[in-house]
Amino acid sequence: MDIKTLYLVVPMAPLAGAVVAGLFGKLIGRTGAHLVTILGVLVAFLASLLIFQDVLAGHTFNGAIYTWLTSGNLSLEIGFLIDRLTVVMMLVVTFVSLMVHIYTIGYMADDPGYQRFFSYIALFTFSMLMLVMSNNFLQLFFGWEAVGLVSYLLIGFWFTRESAIYANLKAFMVNRVGDFGFLLGIALIMAWFGSLDYQQVFQMAPQMAGHTISLIDGHPWSLLTVICVLLFIGAMGKSAQFPLHVWLPDSMEGPTPISALIHAATMVTAGIFMVARMSPLFELSDTSLSFVMIIGAITALFMGFLGMIQNDIKRVIAYSTLSQLGYMTVALGASAYSAAIFHLMTHAFFKALLFLGAGSVIMGMHHDQDIRNMGGLKKYMPITWLTMLIGSLALIGTPGFSGFYSKDSIIEAVQASHLWGSGFAAFAVTASVFVTAFYSFRLYFLVFHGKERFHNAHAEHDHGEEGDSQGHHGAPHESPWVVTVPLVLLAIPSIYAGWPYIEPMLYGGFFGSAIYIDALAHPAMAELGAEFHGPAAMALSALTTLPFWLAVAGVATAYYLYMVRKDLPEKIKEKAGIVYAILDDKYGFDRFNDWFFAGGARLLGGKLWRWGDVAAIDGVLVNGSARLVGQIARISRYLQSGYIYHYAFAMIIGVALLATWFV
Amino acid sequence: MTSISSDFVTALPEIGLLAVACVVLLVEAYNQSRAAVYLLTLTGLLLTAALVVFTGAGVPVLAFNGLYVDDPMGEVLKLLTCFSAIAAVIYSRQFLTDRKMLSGDYLGLLLFAVLGMLVMISANHFLTLYLGLELLSLALYAMVAMERDSARATEAAMKYFVLGALASGLLLYGMSLIYGLTGSLELGKVAEALHFNVKSEIVLAFGLVFIVAGLGFKLGAAPFHMWAPDVYHGAPAAVTLFVGTAPKLAAFAFAMRILVDGLQPAHGDWQQMLAVMAVASLAIGNIAAIAQTNIKRMLAYSTVSHMGFLLLGMMTGSLAGYSAAMFYAVTYVLMSLGGFGMVTYLSRTGAEAENLDDFKGLNAHHPWLAAIMAMVMMSMAGLPPFVGFYAKLTVLQALVGAGWIGLAVVAVLFSLIGAFFYLRVVWLMYFDTPPAESPVYGQHAGDAVMLLSVNGLAILLLGILPQTLLTLCALAVQMSLR
Amino acid sequence: MDFASLVFYFLAAILLLAGLRVVTAKNPVHSALALVLTFFTAAGLWILLEAEFLAIALILVYVGAVMVLFIFVVMMLDINIEEMRKGFWDHLPLAGLVAGLMAVEMVMVLGGDRFGLSAPTAKPASYSNTRELGLLLYTDYVYAFELAAVILLVAIVAAIALTLRRNPNRKNIDPGWQSRQTAKGHIRMVNLKPQHPEYKEADE
Repeated sequence: MDIKTLYLVVPMAPLAGAVVAGLFGKLIGRTGAHLVTILGVLVAFLASLLIFQDVLAGHTFNGAIYTWLTSGNLSLEIGFLIDRLTVVMMLVVTFVSLMVHIYTIGYMADDPGYQRFFSYIALFTFSMLMLVMSNNFLQLFFGWEAVGLVSYLLIGFWFTRESAIYANLKAFMVNRVGDFGFLLGIALIMAWFGSLDYQQVFQMAPQMAGHTISLIDGHPWSLLTVICVLLFIGAMGKSAQFPLHVWLPDSMEGPTPISALIHAATMVTAGIFMVARMSPLFELSDTSLSFVMIIGAITALFMGFLGMIQNDIKRVIAYSTLSQLGYMTVALGASAYSAAIFHLMTHAFFKALLFLGAGSVIMGMHHDQDIRNMGGLKKYMPITWLTMLIGSLALIGTPGFSGFYSKDSIIEAVQASHLWGSGFAAFAVTASVFVTAFYSFRLYFLVFHGKERFHNAHAEHDHGEEGDSQGHHGAPHESPWVVTVPLVLLAIPSIYAGWPYIEPMLYGGFFGSAIYIDALAHPAMAELGAEFHGPAAMALSALTTLPFWLAVAGVATAYYLYMVRKDLPEKIKEKAGIVYAILDDKYGFDRFNDWFFAGGARLLGGKLWRWGDVAAIDGVLVNGSARLVGQIARISRYLQSGYIYHYAFAMIIGVALLATWFV
Repeated sequence: MTSISSDFVTALPEIGLLAVACVVLLVEAYNQSRAAVYLLTLTGLLLTAALVVFTGAGVPVLAFNGLYVDDPMGEVLKLLTCFSAIAAVIYSRQFLTDRKMLSGDYLGLLLFAVLGMLVMISANHFLTLYLGLELLSLALYAMVAMERDSARATEAAMKYFVLGALASGLLLYGMSLIYGLTGSLELGKVAEALHFNVKSEIVLAFGLVFIVAGLGFKLGAAPFHMWAPDVYHGAPAAVTLFVGTAPKLAAFAFAMRILVDGLQPAHGDWQQMLAVMAVASLAIGNIAAIAQTNIKRMLAYSTVSHMGFLLLGMMTGSLAGYSAAMFYAVTYVLMSLGGFGMVTYLSRTGAEAENLDDFKGLNAHHPWLAAIMAMVMMSMAGLPPFVGFYAKLTVLQALVGAGWIGLAVVAVLFSLIGAFFYLRVVWLMYFDTPPAESPVYGQHAGDAVMLLSVNGLAILLLGILPQTLLTLCALAVQMSLR
Repeated sequence: MDFASLVFYFLAAILLLAGLRVVTAKNPVHSALALVLTFFTAAGLWILLEAEFLAIALILVYVGAVMVLFIFVVMMLDINIEEMRKGFWDHLPLAGLVAGLMAVEMVMVLGGDRFGLSAPTAKPASYSNTRELGLLLYTDYVYAFELAAVILLVAIVAAIALTLRRNPNRKNIDPGWQSRQTAKGHIRMVNLKPQHPEYKEADE
């Protein structure tokens, strides 16, 4: 098969599955729907593997597949840029998507929207692939919006729940802010570079480095800084970076497979991918790199704190996701793009694993998500227990696990960075190690060890948000094989994906020309490479470094607080009332947003509505023009009398007028 | 004259279609099997389409002593005409069967009408243009009157006939003036004569007025549009479906032949006439449609406004404008097939789904049909990502490219007004409560639903990937201009 | 002014007057007869142009066939002409204005000199108008000729389709159909049981 056809197959196979499952869902039934979408994603995954080999053999591709519309000198194309960065993303997306598809068979088994759900996630896979494979900004934006759209659809999947609708709206609104910045950035590129093609823009970028534009009179700004910051604002929305992070925890209202696929492994990493893809632009602007690093550091540390006090199993993992996305962003800021992508990859595996494991626990608990009601599940759900343990170990960076290699590389890269703000960032990412270890193992201990609390919990409050109406509130049970198999399959790369790949991906020039680093100005990765002596040595030497002992301390603290002195957490909560209140309030972001943005918008909207809309637009423009149009319509109806001689006469008059006018 | 036999080969599509039409009439006379004439008609149209492809030359070929021309633009339009007729026949099968109108008479006349269109598309001579037009019109008059027990249909046919005769008279008068001026009826020679030596500008303009008036009638452009709402409304839905679709392709070809092939040297004159007609059509079509409660009437006015857009494309006189107009014509036919097809399809025995109220709450009963109809309406309104958007966009681009920015603004303004009544249909289908009893909830034929689905999806798909069709139109026009 | 011009103006004047009469006559039969007169005078003008064949065809076809048929129909129908002409005077001013405008424009625009025509030279006596027409029709214009034939066919089909009614309520009988009928399918053999209460139902 022609390799170009193969490129097309990758996004088109999931799309075909989505269309079939969406349009003919009733016809093909539940089994048909999941078979056809899984087949589509499987084909995409296999094709990605083939392309991966092809790219490893040195064949990259950059070109238009289809010219959509040519308008003047602007041609809108659908094109692919297939290089090493792209294929890594393609593999991650298709693999995790495949796992999630299989898992969904078990998780959504009783849901009435079964076919719709499969259609959506296959559609999401298509959009995400279009996003990562794009070779131009327009298609990037298309994919960007498409994944967002599917994400909103899926957050509001259980649209009869009020909280789901609210979360849906929130995700939509917050992402509009990010997208606005992103669109402005693209518009600036269009205006100054005259092209939307990556390659042409990147080639011109060095010449534009010196350009300044003055947004406010007398204050010239570097053009590239403005563009990069605007693009990054888009990434902040999509990748849930402070302060646009507020939507992600709420998005946990969606079904768990979605949390795993979209809100952990793939879509939220689109912003990270985008910045890595734009590395030739970001490298030219130190200011924007600093900005990126500081935002990432804040997210990594402060969102981790929030994870420490959550009691909803999915929300704990959601805040953990925010924190890890912060890590990736910090790495981008430190010009360690390859480390960011490396962490993106390992994180995709272990975080998807954690989410799917959490989903399995939720199923076992008959859709109870409160970790205070769990405990001792190890006995009942052995596979889930083991895989979750692996995921947690990978997340906290246990030497040897995949997460260790990517995370430690990021920490070291930040320490080696010399940009403004790197000191704070280094502190934040190091401190986060303790936080991460604490909340991960707090979750782990509360869920899988200790006293079995679910018996009395069920007695006192009948949760049943999703209408578990049969009332089979027995003991937790292990999930069916369609759920556990993806867990096991994800556990394998969670352990293994670090060791063999760190060397080629980070130091072996794996990404080649896909990522550009100005080695003179930002030598962090080069310095790391000099100190790197192989994965085994790195794991061994880690035993003597601060992050490792911080992680150990985190685990120990969690053990002490939740296994030994179970009374302590309550006491701490009482003593540190203010701190707890602030954390519980999520730093007041939601309240502030509600009060300032929502309230302000309502106020402004009210005024605008009264003066602008009602008086001017409704009264004069709309009603006035509607009246005028209505009157003309009535007159023309009157003229359309139905008499043949009126019509004939109208024609004659038409001729006479034309003749008089033009002759 | 070259060789007469090669002429016949060139004109094989027309000859084949004529033969099939005669066979259909004979089958009707001796067999009267509904299925036989129905299948024969479809086969005949497919055969004609195949012959069009088979005889396609790629360059303009003159035949029959300059009466006939076979060029890429004509071939594309002929193919689309055949397909559009096939779609119209399939959509209206159930409708015609219910009303006992599915007969060799009706289908034979339909085939003759298609023949008339092909003749018009391939005409290179005032005589063949006129004969093709009459062939088409005569068959259409009879088809409109076919439902004999309906007073409304008879009245519509009468109006169409009398006004059509008047328009033909105007057209002939214009042609005779041009003949007097140039001494030829062959379009190429007329253009040549006008190019080198115009004896009298004023007579040319005077003749043009009459020709443009005749054209305006055929296209249904204001102020020569008044027949359209009454005929669309009065005719049985199946006939409206046919009258409102394929003939517009032929009318476009007719306009291209006469104005561009024949009277290009007088471009300055007809440009302004078309502009006046276009603006009048946009205004009357879009505004009057708002006041309609009958969807057939509404679509008739919408046709008037669409023709305004088409004329805007033509009047630029540029290659881009002609191909934009052709793209618009093709798109319009695709959308109208969907719209009128849906009206025909939903109509049941004794009741036509022709009032806007009949579409209330359609989504509750037939979500898929409602979705198709919504796509058609949004495309007609010119919303992206449907093909109607590109049709409008290319015309506007051509206008701006030729420096007619004011006209472009007017066109956009009236389109905005027009979007209202299209979206009202969508609103009715999705957000209004369905009446308890409605004629449109009967049994449905599968073949028509399939084709309607294809039609609706084509509107969406061509909207997402319009480049192929755009290029096809541009190439066809470019390769056919002489 | 030579003789030909004299004849021309004479015929043209009659033609215009007769045309006007077609529109203004109160009696539809008068109107139709006036139309016959316009055809005759038009034929006369064509003869002046040496188009004998066309002139004769005009008289044969229009006067001999179409108009006779037309007059028959008009005379058979009871048309209340007064009813139909009710709006005539009301509309006259506007209609007259438009007509006048068109007439003025035509006079202004359509002078003979504008077409750059010269007087045609007379053809020799052996010249046959009919022969020339025939030659052209069957060679150069064969395509158009065939098309005209198709149009006539469509007209016939349309006329039949619109007027021929296969009325299902007709009482007349087709003798052929009658003689083809056999007992089969028309006669049902029924085994009648004796009328007894028990058998009542079995008979049904």
